[in-house]
Amino acid sequence: MRYWLTLLAFVLAAIGIGACAGHTWVTPAAVLRAILGGASIESALLFEWRLPRVIAAALVGALLGLGGAVFQGVFRNPLAEPYLLGSAGGAALGATIALLVPLAVSQAFSLPVLAFAGAWGATLLVIGVSRAAGALDVPTLLLSGVAVSAVLGALRSFLMLALSDETVSLQVVLSWVLGGMQTPTWIGVGGLAIVTAVALAACLALASGLDKLGLGETMATAFGMDVGRFVALAVLVGSATVAASVTVGGLVGFVGLAAPHIARWRLGPLHRSVIPASAAIGAGLVALADAIARSALPPAEIPLGLVTAVAGGPFFLFLLARSRKKW
Amino acid sequence: MALVKHIVAAALVAAAIPFGGASAEPVSIVDALGREVVVPAPPKRIVTVFSSNTELIAALGLADRIVGIDAMTRYPPEIVSKPHVGGRLGFSVDTVVAQRPDLVIVTPARQAANQLVEPMRRLGIPVIVLMSRTMTEVIANVRLLGKATSQSGTGESVARAMETRIDTVQKKNAGRTRPRVVMITGQLGNGLMLVARPNTYTGDAMRIAGADFALPTLRTLAQVSPEAILASAPDVVLFAGRQEDFDDLLTRPGWRDLRAVRAGRAWTVPRAEWLIPGPRTVDGIERLAERLRQPEGS
Repeated sequence: MRYWLTLLAFVLAAIGIGACAGHTWVTPAAVLRAILGGASIESALLFEWRLPRVIAAALVGALLGLGGAVFQGVFRNPLAEPYLLGSAGGAALGATIALLVPLAVSQAFSLPVLAFAGAWGATLLVIGVSRAAGALDVPTLLLSGVAVSAVLGALRSFLMLALSDETVSLQVVLSWVLGGMQTPTWIGVGGLAIVTAVALAACLALASGLDKLGLGETMATAFGMDVGRFVALAVLVGSATVAASVTVGGLVGFVGLAAPHIARWRLGPLHRSVIPASAAIGAGLVALADAIARSALPPAEIPLGLVTAVAGGPFFLFLLARSRKKW
Repeated sequence: MALVKHIVAAALVAAAIPFGGASAEPVSIVDALGREVVVPAPPKRIVTVFSSNTELIAALGLADRIVGIDAMTRYPPEIVSKPHVGGRLGFSVDTVVAQRPDLVIVTPARQAANQLVEPMRRLGIPVIVLMSRTMTEVIANVRLLGKATSQSGTGESVARAMETRIDTVQKKNAGRTRPRVVMITGQLGNGLMLVARPNTYTGDAMRIAGADFALPTLRTLAQVSPEAILASAPDVVLFAGRQEDFDDLLTRPGWRDLRAVRAGRAWTVPRAEWLIPGPRTVDGIERLAERLRQPEGS
């Protein structure tokens, strides 16, 4: 219970810091005034622009934490991560198509759907390639993930070069690729919160299955589990979660890797606790990273994905070095 | 008699209202993204993002109303000390709002429109998005900003002066053969070159100055290999940049043997005149037209 209170305090503190941080730092009192309906232009800026963004960043982080926890569980692989497994790259390609290719359907529909299709397709491709290569072990998965991500990245770059006309669409795609948070309206934030809650519930429903799978496929089958079907379902849920995060936050790497790890340090491997804790840790981490992105180099803004990559890349290398000894 | 005086005075006042520079009537314009923008009163604090927009406002005589610029803007000299609201890495909503602007003017490049339009809309600060895809559009921007800043008269006369000068150039060029020209606007690290292409204001300005494209089939991709430029055997090579960079390029294999280089028809042109869409572009057109009319070897 104390751990969960600490986590809650961490998330709230990160959101609080995020609300104060910016090119112009404000006091918590000013944030409070803005929430209570202050009439000044500063209050309007905080309430209409900064707060929705900070909360959206936290929700994106929660989704990434959830996606990471599911992927690491289903692949029984501590280095699995949406960014490295190609699902984030696939989602970004889908989003690029939705943004740049004139389609018959509205973008509000095509964007999340294509992002999801890309995420799901890319993950299935990585799994397929790894299976064909013989095993779902760490090196095979990571290498096929790298290769698939490279192909997807190249396709995306080509689309950007070939289809953009130097107007707004290319800027939107670019900001996604580098992990730029969109700032939704309050209604959008509400929608994202609902999506996050649904994703949390869906991931939690997978928890006991992931625990059984963690004992090995033979053991899981002995427990009466249809492993193939479960893995397919878990990949579907994980991909949908990642697609939701990419739709709002773009390509934000390494959070999905780090959050479940940090959760397991204290909680051990049981997914019933790891999954919600990953969501909370992801939320706090992205809210903090976004605060850095918005305030470090005024008046410019660093793309969020660069901040998480610079902070998270070394973390991944550290895990890789440590786990390498076990292979 | 007194009554007549009153009527005359009232008529004069009524007639003066539409022409008064400081009338508080809201002005409504449609910007390059097709958005309707309402400027409620003549703006007194204007944030101009990108050199071109700053120069357009300055050309209307409103440089003293500019309260924020982007970090790469260097002209006119009186604005260089204004606060920066963004630069290479993007633009800051916080810093723009801190200048308390009553009008923001941006162009969709380097994320500016993407980062600034929506927050300004939510905060109720009018924001105009301008594009410069053709010279016609560049001149239309002068009129549009004239209207938005309640300086329609100045906007009209600046725009008309630009049109007259362009007309003069075109009349002088009528009937002349157009030399085939390549204008290099940038070099990428991988050796590829950026060149001015059709369907851009820079390409438009080249055509007005009397040039033809040596690489006419370029569409959206502006990157070409040096070989393609050499193979196109242009009559004139233009380099938008510094003389020493151009000299450096000309020492590379193949360039010395280009007909244009051997004939002494390889010149630098000022980036400010060719890559910032504004009144100075017409200076560039006149200067280039003059040079293109000179016979080879002169």
